[in-house]
Amino acid sequence: MLRHITRTLFKMVVTLFVIVTLVFFATRLSGDPIDYVVGQGITQEDRDLLTRYYGLDASIWEQYVRFLGSFIDGQFGLSFVERRPVAEIVAERIWPSLQLLLSGVSLTILVAVPLGILAAIHRSNWIGSTVMTIAFVGYAVPNFVLAIFMVLVFAFTLNWLPVVGNSTPWHFIMPTITLAGALIAALTRFTRNAMLDVLSQDFMRTARAKGLSEAVVILKHGFSNASITILSVLGLQIAGLAAAGNVVVEAIFAWPGIGDLLVNAAILRDFPVLQFAVLAVAFAVIIVNGLIDIAYAYADPRIRLGRA
Amino acid sequence: MTRFLATTAIATVLAGSAFAVELTVGAANVTGFIDPGRDHSNVGSQFYYNSFDTLVEKNYDKLQGEFRPGLATEWTLVEPTVMELKLRQGVTFHNGEAMTADDVVFSLNRMYQATFPPYQVRARDRLANFDKAEKIDDYTVRIHAKREEPLWETLLNLQQVMIIPEDYTKGLTGDPKVAENDDFEAFSLKPVGTGPYAITQLVPGETLVWERFDGFWGEKAPLDKVTVKHMPETASRITALKTGEADLVTNIAPDQLSLIESDPALKAAGSATALFHVMIMNANHPVLKDPRIRQAMSLAVDRDTLNEALWLGKAIVPASHTMEEFGELYMPELKTFEYNPEKAKQLLQEAGYKGEEIVYTSFPTYYTNGLLAAQAIVEMWKEVGINGKVNVVDKWNGGDADMMARNWSNPMYFADPFGSFGVMWAPKGPSESEGRFNTDAAYAEAWERFRFSKDVEARKAAYAELMERISQDPPVLPLYRPFESWAMNKNVNWAPKPGHIPYVLDFRAGSISFASN
Amino acid sequence: MAEAAIATAASRPGLLADARRIWNDANGVQRAAICIAVLLLIVAAFAPFIAPHEPTAQSLIARLRPPFGFERYREGYLLGTDELGRDVLSRSLHGLQLTLILAALGATIGLVLGGALGLVSGIAGGLVDDIIMGAVDAQIAIPFTLIALLTLAIFGSSIEVMVLVLGLYGWEQYARIVRGEVRRLMAMPFIEAARAAGASGGRIAFRHVLPNAVSPLVVQFTLSISNIVLLESTLSFLGMGVQPPTATLGSMVGIGRDYLPTAPWIVVAPAVMILFVTFAVQILGDWLRDRADVRLRGR
Repeated sequence: MLRHITRTLFKMVVTLFVIVTLVFFATRLSGDPIDYVVGQGITQEDRDLLTRYYGLDASIWEQYVRFLGSFIDGQFGLSFVERRPVAEIVAERIWPSLQLLLSGVSLTILVAVPLGILAAIHRSNWIGSTVMTIAFVGYAVPNFVLAIFMVLVFAFTLNWLPVVGNSTPWHFIMPTITLAGALIAALTRFTRNAMLDVLSQDFMRTARAKGLSEAVVILKHGFSNASITILSVLGLQIAGLAAAGNVVVEAIFAWPGIGDLLVNAAILRDFPVLQFAVLAVAFAVIIVNGLIDIAYAYADPRIRLGRA
Repeated sequence: MTRFLATTAIATVLAGSAFAVELTVGAANVTGFIDPGRDHSNVGSQFYYNSFDTLVEKNYDKLQGEFRPGLATEWTLVEPTVMELKLRQGVTFHNGEAMTADDVVFSLNRMYQATFPPYQVRARDRLANFDKAEKIDDYTVRIHAKREEPLWETLLNLQQVMIIPEDYTKGLTGDPKVAENDDFEAFSLKPVGTGPYAITQLVPGETLVWERFDGFWGEKAPLDKVTVKHMPETASRITALKTGEADLVTNIAPDQLSLIESDPALKAAGSATALFHVMIMNANHPVLKDPRIRQAMSLAVDRDTLNEALWLGKAIVPASHTMEEFGELYMPELKTFEYNPEKAKQLLQEAGYKGEEIVYTSFPTYYTNGLLAAQAIVEMWKEVGINGKVNVVDKWNGGDADMMARNWSNPMYFADPFGSFGVMWAPKGPSESEGRFNTDAAYAEAWERFRFSKDVEARKAAYAELMERISQDPPVLPLYRPFESWAMNKNVNWAPKPGHIPYVLDFRAGSISFASN
Repeated sequence: MAEAAIATAASRPGLLADARRIWNDANGVQRAAICIAVLLLIVAAFAPFIAPHEPTAQSLIARLRPPFGFERYREGYLLGTDELGRDVLSRSLHGLQLTLILAALGATIGLVLGGALGLVSGIAGGLVDDIIMGAVDAQIAIPFTLIALLTLAIFGSSIEVMVLVLGLYGWEQYARIVRGEVRRLMAMPFIEAARAAGASGGRIAFRHVLPNAVSPLVVQFTLSISNIVLLESTLSFLGMGVQPPTATLGSMVGIGRDYLPTAPWIVVAPAVMILFVTFAVQILGDWLRDRADVRLRGR
């Protein structure tokens, strides 16, 4: 078990280092950030002056070394645009993103798992097919389409819900639904399939034969076994979908999170911020995957007992 | 839920002064830093006037300059190049420090004798004629110009020479006796001025909060607290206004005005901003070297149609690079730019244009209607036989040798042709330095006469010469002064004042009030 | 087992009979999906002939006109006009075509690239396998939308870059499928026999591995088409995709968003088309997977 964790950790660190390095060099390939930093309409002389001031005249290797060095002081360098430590900027953004993610994933689980179980139990009648058709439609609706039409109806026309930022609980409603929309569709399908796999297995028949009620059989025996599969799906699929969804949702609702920061930093070529924000997201996804990996291993006795 | 957010702010006004008067502004862009000296962006200009003062003030209710005492109570030219100013007494900064000549000298010299690179850049294009400021006594300073200066008041009224505290700034980082670069960097996140509102919170790019500064030397601010929030999407800003998340929102495009007008709870105020959206052309691009090609590119653009279609006719299409704000130097009689497709075709033929592709680059969203205008201009080019193509890039490519044409803006940084055309198109200025505009000795000589002549007629004649050069060998076509609108709750009385530079959010006494319906 | 699968693939009845069998197997929703897919393909293929106007032809005096049946409707512009007076219907049709072309190109590149890497990885083994599988793991760790956004922001948004980005989508899935198939087959006696008889790696790959991997690959390919359509739309919506005046469905929604309260028709047509495309393709992909699963279980 310990060996498994150490290996997972080592892989995480290597992956992060590779990502950071790739992003660093990719951003430098894209042209001179000074064009974005100083804006338009300055003379060549002034441009050179500012290039030196922002430290962009150094060779790419020197900049890379300096960049790695900035990890040591924990500031991760200064933003080109805001002139303050990157760590401070990113730190402000983590909690709002996490809030959105948590509320989105919670809603997803609350809706999708019961729906998936329902669809599995009723796999051969109209209830099951209705649920699944809705899930397909839900998956086909791009989240930005869902978002802008919700805004049109609930905010613009009815004036019920606010649309900008995250300052009150009301602000969470539309972003959470937007984020959860596609996730619910995906998780419903996974839950259904996982449940179907479990329901067809021998121990389920045994459980029924023991005379347990159908609800107990399905929830206790069926779902608890399927939950391992669901958990792994949550990690892999949902983490990816949610990270992507966050970018879109934060852009539409001006949600002050990492996704919004990332898109803006990319547009403004604020490399220090961009690099660190990518790192932060990758780190989060990898941590989530790592945790799920470990949880999965723990649930699987072959790995837990070190025989894998 | 409906509108309850807005009603809180308005209700407090009606209830009288016992409650705090608060306002929430939804801004398309919130600045990343606050430093009046370093900044000259359209985003930044929104935020300085509420918190900082200049030595020489202006009557902003009037379109044309009527200067009046600011932090200086009087000023006299003691020598042809030396101005002496008496400072106002009893002025305090937001941090409680009293303003003295030291602060003024420090603020001016941080620009006139800049060592901090971003200041050097800003000083060079507009403050190059100023040598230094010196302290005479605690409330008297002298400013030395290099040559006789016809625009003293104008150039003392600039955002870039607003007054900031010396000791506070120097003490922000490192040695408290020395102004290091890091001091100025730190200042831009913790700004302090003398204006009627102190900036009490700044989350760069996201939120800015002003609170009334009770130690203000002039008439007290009418609002207790103003929160400016970043609301990047047009649709979101309007929606936020409707849901009550904001009381006032910025940058409403003309296409959206009908939404405001159709809502009885809302209204809009707007003006043709003192700024030109322009098309620039690279005079040194191999395909465009012949001035006749660039003339044709310019003559093919039907700016009035653009105005009617994209701005509902509310923008102003100029005959020359000139604005009413320039006062005596406003020269609408110059016919520098016109629409003449027939002449365009003829010039193309004379120049031997063979259908080479001409790329028009546009930012995707930066200028209101910028990308739409780009697409429309390329269609208009097609009408006269120019093979155009739109290229959408986020990056400024005005300095690239292969840039052919693109959109840009020429803001009025101060009310003089020098503050608009002059900043961008001076000899050795940014346009020439970027390699897309050429000047010669004759242009430089006309420029000198325009910049430094003390006689207005001589300046006008020189400017007319410059405009003639521009029309013969065009590097630029001013498209229009865009019509910018702000939308607000019906109870808010606010409108942009004509004397300001573009985009200033002026919430000082007399500039904003609430209707008591 | 493997021989049997190859045999089934080889014995092809007539195409028409095939189609009829598929249709008979399908349930209502699946039949609807088939109809939608076929219809969309035809419309997209003939977009230039169906579209009543040039997609870029502007009319500045007739901007933001509503669709047929509303006040201020402009004759001949059934679905209304956009912010530059262009025909929304024509732009949607051309947008659909471009969106589908991009998706097909992207999915094909991903299939070829991922499939090739999976083959190499599986056949070569050792260090090569470690590196390629390491890359697969890294790819799974980072949300692809993020990579796509960064790539487009950094290298600019042209059609070429867009194809490249979409082409990278899902390569790791194909690589895993093909590698898995390779590893499974490598252990089988008949492959060992073929190797002993001196067959090259390439021959083994094409004769034995690929035919067996076809059905999971087809499923993956279909599903990734709908994901790529969603990805492309998302990127274009965020303003990072194909740039004006060229339209894709996503960019029309993205630009039309500003006009949503005043001119919702700009958004509705492309949004509905995106929905149809992804819905139909998802249903079909899922159905194909179920069929493949049945066959796998039947083994």
